Amino acid sequence: MSTIPPTQAQQNAWKKSPDSELYINPLPVRIWHWLNAVGFVALILTGIQIRYANMFNVLSFETAIKTHNWVAFTVIANYFVWLGFYLFSDRITVYHPELNPRKFFDKAFKQFMYYSYGIFKGEPSPHKVLAYDKFNPMQSITYQIVMLLVVPVQFITGIMMWDIKRFEGPIAMLGGIHTVDTVHVLIFIFFVSFTLVHAYMGALGHTPSAHFKEMFTGYEEAEEKSDQ
Amino acid sequence: MNTKLQVLVIDDDAVVGRSFDRVLSDKGYQVSTALSGEEAMETIRETDFDVVFTDIKMPGMDGLEVAERIKARCPWTPVVVITGYGTPDNEAQASVLGVSGFVHKPLTPEIIESVTLKAVKEAEVILEAAEPCETQEVIAKTVSKAGVHSKAGLIAKNVGLFFAAPFVALAYVIALPFVGFYMFAKLGREAYVKKHLSK
Repeated sequence: MSTIPPTQAQQNAWKKSPDSELYINPLPVRIWHWLNAVGFVALILTGIQIRYANMFNVLSFETAIKTHNWVAFTVIANYFVWLGFYLFSDRITVYHPELNPRKFFDKAFKQFMYYSYGIFKGEPSPHKVLAYDKFNPMQSITYQIVMLLVVPVQFITGIMMWDIKRFEGPIAMLGGIHTVDTVHVLIFIFFVSFTLVHAYMGALGHTPSAHFKEMFTGYEEAEEKSDQ
Repeated sequence: MNTKLQVLVIDDDAVVGRSFDRVLSDKGYQVSTALSGEEAMETIRETDFDVVFTDIKMPGMDGLEVAERIKARCPWTPVVVITGYGTPDNEAQASVLGVSGFVHKPLTPEIIESVTLKAVKEAEVILEAAEPCETQEVIAKTVSKAGVHSKAGLIAKNVGLFFAAPFVALAYVIALPFVGFYMFAKLGREAYVKKHLSK
């Protein structure tokens, strides 16, 4: 049972939503999401420019590095806003792990069957989106790995390479600059793939644009239930 | 301004709604009734209810679906499921949806009054603290009031989950193919048994 009290703004938004819509992404979440999205795309593009300076010449090497650093610190600050809510409130429970393996595997298997088969037959998703339970089990574990492991490692390796001299001790402990750089680049490749998959999955709503609209308006349109 | 507490009773049997009205109307409650889930959703759009009672078995939208829709729309509104057909499955499903409780038919005036009071009191605890809940302090206090944990406990739990979550998730990812294989095998076996038994 949910014991999280709604804010006045959430209560107002819920009340005014029609029955077919759920208010699941409040304005701060949407601002946070789009700031992250723009930041990650900028980091990927400037990262490509830095890594392949000989092949592309959209920005000068120095400008690319400066832009990459400034955007990176903005994204890190944005992450700490999220982390503050995660640690000091009970509002971000969707990133909490399911500690009952039986429950997790049962739900994850149903979701897997939906993604691999049911979706192509037009069946409804087994996961019902609720205001405090918006991620299906597969999304949930993916985001936990991304937000709580991959993103922090990327930040740490990035900060080390931002000032190699200052962090030469920790860099040496991790096996030298080549190791740190390799980890940073591998995670960069992961993020490029993640961004593409994220956009593809975003198009799998009941209409291709439904989830994108939801991230602008905050409202998720409820799927019509089939008579089964 | 209507200061009475608003109660909605959803049951396709009009007698149930009338019983609630008779018991509660002179005790500070305003009772509204709906004979179907669809009618209830219309009513909810116009009025803020302090507590909702819904029968579980109704034609059209059943009580579980009504509860799900109400909890999705107004998570703070207590929903009590009235059941004469209570099965452990129904109750388990209703619990997952976050309903406040169950009340079994036949209903006596004492049961109606006590279960209404209990649901309203529980909702007040959540909502009283929710009004100014812009600060983390108030959120923590609310969670504590609900008997979950103190602020320090909340932070300790969240820090623990922060470090544990990615490893729990990685363990699930590693185990998923094996568990998935087992589940496929189980599905196949069930299909095989069903096919051969039907012959």
